[in-house]
Amino acid sequence: MAGIDLAATSPRTTLDVVGRSPATRRRLSRAALYVALGVIAVVMVVPFVWMVLTSLKTPADIAASPPTFLPTEWAWGNYADALAAAPFLTYARNSLIIAVSHTTINLVVASMAGYALARLRFRGSELVFLGFVAALMIPTYTKIIPEFLIVRFMPLFGGNDILGQGGTGWLDTWWALIVPGAVTPFAVFLFRQFYLDLPVELEEAARLDGVSELGIWARIMTPLVKPAFITVALLTFESSWNNFLWPLLVTRTDSMRVIQVGLSVFRTENDTQWAFLMAGTTLATVPMVALFLLGQKYFVRGFANAGIK
Amino acid sequence: MAVVSAPRDVSAPPVVPTRSPAPRRRRAGAARRRAGMLMVAPAFLHALIWIGIPVIAAFVLSFTHYDVLTQPRFNGIQNYVDALTDPVFRRGMLNTLVYAFFTVPVAMGIALLIALMLDTQLRARALFRTAVFIPQVTATIAVALVWLWIYDPRNGLLNAVLGFFGIPAQNWLSSTTWAMPSVIVVGIWQGIGLKMLIYLAALQSLPKDVYEAASVDGASKTRQFFSITLPLLKPATFFVFVTSVISAFQAFDLIYILTDGGPANTTTMMTYEIYKSAFREFRVGYACAQSIILFVFLLLLTLANRRLNGGDSGRH
Repeated sequence: MAGIDLAATSPRTTLDVVGRSPATRRRLSRAALYVALGVIAVVMVVPFVWMVLTSLKTPADIAASPPTFLPTEWAWGNYADALAAAPFLTYARNSLIIAVSHTTINLVVASMAGYALARLRFRGSELVFLGFVAALMIPTYTKIIPEFLIVRFMPLFGGNDILGQGGTGWLDTWWALIVPGAVTPFAVFLFRQFYLDLPVELEEAARLDGVSELGIWARIMTPLVKPAFITVALLTFESSWNNFLWPLLVTRTDSMRVIQVGLSVFRTENDTQWAFLMAGTTLATVPMVALFLLGQKYFVRGFANAGIK
Repeated sequence: MAVVSAPRDVSAPPVVPTRSPAPRRRRAGAARRRAGMLMVAPAFLHALIWIGIPVIAAFVLSFTHYDVLTQPRFNGIQNYVDALTDPVFRRGMLNTLVYAFFTVPVAMGIALLIALMLDTQLRARALFRTAVFIPQVTATIAVALVWLWIYDPRNGLLNAVLGFFGIPAQNWLSSTTWAMPSVIVVGIWQGIGLKMLIYLAALQSLPKDVYEAASVDGASKTRQFFSITLPLLKPATFFVFVTSVISAFQAFDLIYILTDGGPANTTTMMTYEIYKSAFREFRVGYACAQSIILFVFLLLLTLANRRLNGGDSGRH
């Protein structure tokens, strides 16, 4: 099993190919490694390439069997046509508004909480922290039904009376789309870890200078954990933009739909419009991929940090 | 300069600010504690309303008959009995376990293998890492739509590629045999990047001198892998396992787009049954019971892994 051997031979070693000189063996194993990784890379990337190529194909190309890899004629007009067929730009705008709101709120509220839990211990703060850790482990599906009921029966909204009866509450409003997912326990957890590592002296010095506790957090300590902010911002934005089930549940009208829900609806309503669907999917994917390429280091560190801590 | 301040030193316990008992400081301490409480309050209240109360509500409602329109009515453990005897929900549990088996332990093995391949002096490593990770940051809906098109029986890429090698075309997603494997492939494809990345980060932080000592002692590479590398990777394995299990048990978007749980319930999942019960059939109490069962599954798996792996005590 060459694969296992390859795995077992960590750094600086070679596959055990019998009867060759070490140099040849090294070259061979290196080649095998590159071939294996190349195949994996192709499998990972081809679906995206296929998505973009499909979005640029004419109906004739799409119906061709077997399909041609490249479009015979590059149908750049597909994008304009797709936007005319469904309000993808409205969907994307809605997603953007929600993702930006989630990110902003999460950064402020979660960093404040993470800071307090790390540096301003009070009676019960350990318990509160444990509560956040426990909240981390709650599956979405265990809380989503009551969350929906809370939104649905939100008193005095959407025609509801004080008991939450008679109307639709927060359903189909920005409130429902933004408020419930605005702060994540994961962000609180991550911020706490980052603030814990800062030196006490800074805080003490600022306190002697008469800076308020809020000021110490905002002006002294926070600039020192910029990486945490970038990490949380990217992760929050990404998960908000990619969220599907919650916006599916709480929106009814087309103008309130987010991009992921819009795509899924477009697919059910126009089953065979693959070019348009792939154009829409490309529009939904490109911002995330761009964001990832720009902030790769922070994405990676965010995930890996959570893993090592 | 701020960039380097990410926590690196994991072994050192967090430094708790030592409070000097000087009486002059006591008032300042009280102000600090009050500030602490006020600063935690917004996040705490948010978590209470949108996580704490919902979890308790789900638990309470799971013992009731509730259809949103009329008041909930207590019916004991009836919902649990119904869920555990319902052939479709049982199918969902089985499917979830099968899906989790392939997208967690199996995928972790593949991820570790790729990570080991990358943990060498490789020229294109950064590029490769990016390629593997992109599906992770892409919306599952987008991923599912692309694969739906790849699996298309008539014009799909997969049948075309297989046809090139003389393999007959399949109705991937509408065949009771192939639907589940097809879904699993997409699940592995999307999740492999994160698993690999965590393993790679862990591999790169392994102490090199241990391997040198082992080589001097004449331990083979295979022996070194099983006696040194794997044990040292325990904390990473624990983390990857827990996060992957959580996401595998919550697979929903993929199913929603690719198969709608079909054909003949061969790809339905616990989450999908919860969704159908609550939002298509309005059996809210029943759906809550199903969601508590899902929670218990996750809890047991996490605890079992903690036991098996000896916990993650080494790093915490």
